[in-house]
Amino acid sequence: MIRLQNIAVKFGEFTALDNINIHVKESEFFTFLGPSGCGKTTTLRTIAGFVQPDRGKIIVRGQDITDTPIERRNIGIVFQNYALFPTMSVYDNIAFGLKVKKLSKSEIDRKVRVIAEKVDLTDNQLKQAVSMLSGGQQQRVAIARALVTEPAIICLDEPLSNLDAKLRVQLRQELKKTQQDFGITSIYITHDQEEALTLSDRIAVFNRGVVEQIGAPNEIYNHPATEFVCNFIGDINRVSDALVRVLADGGAEIDPDGRHYIRLERLHVNEPVGGNVLGIQGTVESMEYYGLYIKYYIYVGSQILKVVEKNDGVRIYTPGEQVTVNLNPADLMSYPTPSDNAENNNNNNAMRKEADFRADIPGVSSGMGGVMV
Amino acid sequence: MMLKRQSRLNLTGAFYLIGGLFFAYLFFGFMLAPCFNTLTSIFSAKNAAGEPDPFAVLRFFLAGNMWKYVWNSLKLAVCLVITVNIVGVSIVLLTEYFDIRFSGILRLGYMTTLIYSGVALVTGYMFLYAGDGILTAFTRNIFPDFRANWFTGFNAVLFTMTFACTSNHALFLRNAIRGIDYNIIEAARNMGASPLRVLFQVVFPTLLPTLFSLTVMTFVTGLCAMSAPTLLGYDSINPEIVRLAGSSAADESFPQARAALLSIILACFTIILLTILSFYERKGHYLSVSKTKARLRKQKITNPIANVLIHLYAYVLFIIYITPVIMIILFSFQTYNAVRMRRLDLKNWTLINFFGQEDYAYLTSRGTYKIREGSVSGVFSNQATLNGIHTSFILSVIAAASACVIVVIACEYIFKHKKSGVILEYALLFPWLLPTILICYSYRVFFNRSDVWYVFNQNLYYADRVRILIIIAYIITKLPFSLRMIRASFYMIGEEMEEAARNMGAGPVYTFLRVKLPVILPSVLAVFALNFNALFTEYDMSAAFSSAYGTTYAMVIQSMSREEGLYGYNINASGRRCASTVFIMILSGIILYLVYGVGSRDLSEKLAIRERRRKRLERLKKIFSKS
Repeated sequence: MIRLQNIAVKFGEFTALDNINIHVKESEFFTFLGPSGCGKTTTLRTIAGFVQPDRGKIIVRGQDITDTPIERRNIGIVFQNYALFPTMSVYDNIAFGLKVKKLSKSEIDRKVRVIAEKVDLTDNQLKQAVSMLSGGQQQRVAIARALVTEPAIICLDEPLSNLDAKLRVQLRQELKKTQQDFGITSIYITHDQEEALTLSDRIAVFNRGVVEQIGAPNEIYNHPATEFVCNFIGDINRVSDALVRVLADGGAEIDPDGRHYIRLERLHVNEPVGGNVLGIQGTVESMEYYGLYIKYYIYVGSQILKVVEKNDGVRIYTPGEQVTVNLNPADLMSYPTPSDNAENNNNNNAMRKEADFRADIPGVSSGMGGVMV
Repeated sequence: MMLKRQSRLNLTGAFYLIGGLFFAYLFFGFMLAPCFNTLTSIFSAKNAAGEPDPFAVLRFFLAGNMWKYVWNSLKLAVCLVITVNIVGVSIVLLTEYFDIRFSGILRLGYMTTLIYSGVALVTGYMFLYAGDGILTAFTRNIFPDFRANWFTGFNAVLFTMTFACTSNHALFLRNAIRGIDYNIIEAARNMGASPLRVLFQVVFPTLLPTLFSLTVMTFVTGLCAMSAPTLLGYDSINPEIVRLAGSSAADESFPQARAALLSIILACFTIILLTILSFYERKGHYLSVSKTKARLRKQKITNPIANVLIHLYAYVLFIIYITPVIMIILFSFQTYNAVRMRRLDLKNWTLINFFGQEDYAYLTSRGTYKIREGSVSGVFSNQATLNGIHTSFILSVIAAASACVIVVIACEYIFKHKKSGVILEYALLFPWLLPTILICYSYRVFFNRSDVWYVFNQNLYYADRVRILIIIAYIITKLPFSLRMIRASFYMIGEEMEEAARNMGAGPVYTFLRVKLPVILPSVLAVFALNFNALFTEYDMSAAFSSAYGTTYAMVIQSMSREEGLYGYNINASGRRCASTVFIMILSGIILYLVYGVGSRDLSEKLAIRERRRKRLERLKKIFSKS
């Protein structure tokens, strides 16, 4: 459907995009995810034609559109602030693109009403000024305006970022439903991982102008290809080197020189030990009650581990209680330590600090006393 | 496709080239070159032997009591700063801060200077206070020894300008005081501060930045005063420049060089003051850190004596503001006899001062009556007045519209090209540093010859070409204000809005006309209206050009009663002058209503009004169909 080939964009000396290769399939909901300034919006603007790439090609349905003017690309955009025209009514906003195409009045009217019905905008709302609509209604106008010209692709640039949390969740579902109803290829931009995971068929994770990983939400979450993706997606525990050594001493097959992470839900409190599961003794530092689940901060000597327990009738532990944190070493996500000097220096400092801590770890000072296998 | 893209780029390039050349022409040709010529004229003077004279500037300054004009202007500016700030702060506190009875009506009275100013206001005050003024005549009836011509010179100018120059306070200081978070006042009171301490230690400090800006603006206004000193007879810089510009070397020594020197001195003062203002503004204003701002509630004056005194002060100020307005309105509907006698004739009201003509029979020295045809005439039937209105209307419309168009084009460039746009922005703000009198005097001298190549070697000060010169002067002096106002409206157009339009297939021209222009149009129309309002009754610049071909409405008003009644001519000149002022008030009132009332409505308000009108029409239709 749409293929970005070796796209590179530079702003002066700054490299905004470097060798981007993405293939978005027909009718797919594809998300560009990444922190601010990672290049996701620049990629979208390059696809839309607002930014001319210094290198590479943009191919839509087999046709090279790299040099095609913006207005001829047939790509709809929903902007972050919707960019609705305040001097026009809702009707005129939606009809704008059709008027530019010089369609007949009756044709414009028909198309506007059809699309308005599809996005649940009433006749009365069509007559209103856009400023009179709520955030959700404005979003629907922006989507209708982008879709009415029947574009090949629709690009949504963080359309939920200006809304409050409750409305964001509600509109997320509406957005997905609309996309499925229309069956249109969608490129969605967000820095919100939850949004990306719930909405997308596939996700491209951006970092500093490069794509770190492309994959389905499950793949991205459970098998992050790089340390950045692992850190960026979801809440995670970085396992300290001291704890790694303890685990290695306890029999876990683990590279002591690598960096290791474990998801919160892969750790459990006071669960029966068996198979490959290891136990680490610790003290509950604090707990947060979320209703659906409980989040514990457990001090295990060298670090605090975050643990999430489903609130399905399990016992709730209070701060100060002695507990055992169980983990399966197979759930650890491991990455080689970066080799550049700066990183090494930082690591060495960290190692030195952790070596100082080692004396405090219960299982280390007393041999294997703290670790149950 | 590449070819099309190339041709589009070429077209854009050509457009930028033409635009660049135009703005360079405007800046170098009509801002820099004429003023630079004025500057060099006094520093490149030669002595009788034809040698460069380094002391020429000193000789120019010492000739003809030049220091007196500079000193008088400075004295007026300093005194004006004190009096205007006292009255300006008073009217704002009395209407917005203290709980004064009938404050709504008081506010209307204090704001009357917004609808009439300049020559119209000065002549209005003269109608009351001059030697033959209503109040002076009334006072002399009671106290025969009262000096008839008390309302002349410095005191008269100071009095008139004090009340004329509070418009900025009424607008800007009012906004500043309304922006105060009431919670800070309550917090201060809660901590035990007395109302007076709250006023001086909490309220005033937040108003200081606005007050500072207003002080500088008032100082510059006092320094560059023109109509009041001219009409009330006070020797300040501006009237002297105009007088010297019309004088020749046969009458006095170095009149042109002295006029140029005075213009430069004025420019130096203005530049210094505006630089200070700009520096101070850059330091920023106090911003409320409150997220939930409480609306200011009016403060009751608990001390009964203070309450009575402050109420008295408020009503006295109201009387000073409103009396000229009421008198002018009343006398504009009076017969020439009543106007001449300065006594209201409640039985005879007339519209002759506005419309129609009458013949006038007067007694000659031979004891016979002679008829002077059409000697009593209204504003809209007197040829000289109509010519003035016509000239002012045409010049103002062209200049106001041109300034807006130039600034809109400039803003479009400035917002697209952040770096190079700054140069253009500063070029358009440049006239702000120059007193209008310097620009006009420089034009008058520089373009009064036939060898200026970039105006096609035409003498622009010759015959009716002076109108072109006036229009250019109007445009140039209105550019900074227009830029500041219209630039602000461009911020409302997000970059994304333009991109959205382009994304939906609209070209740059279509995007500008259908998306951007509707957003900025209310501001552009407001600026056009305000520019027109100011220029239509403008006196300073047209007086500086003092050409028979450029006699504007304000000049006609100023000279209207000069020969009132002499040999049966201009019998109702004073009444016509009152009617002219009423006409200006109505026009300004309508413009201000359109700008701040209708113009400030957004689309939702417009749609709601349209809906209400539709329903009203339907109701009427039903009533008629039933009947």
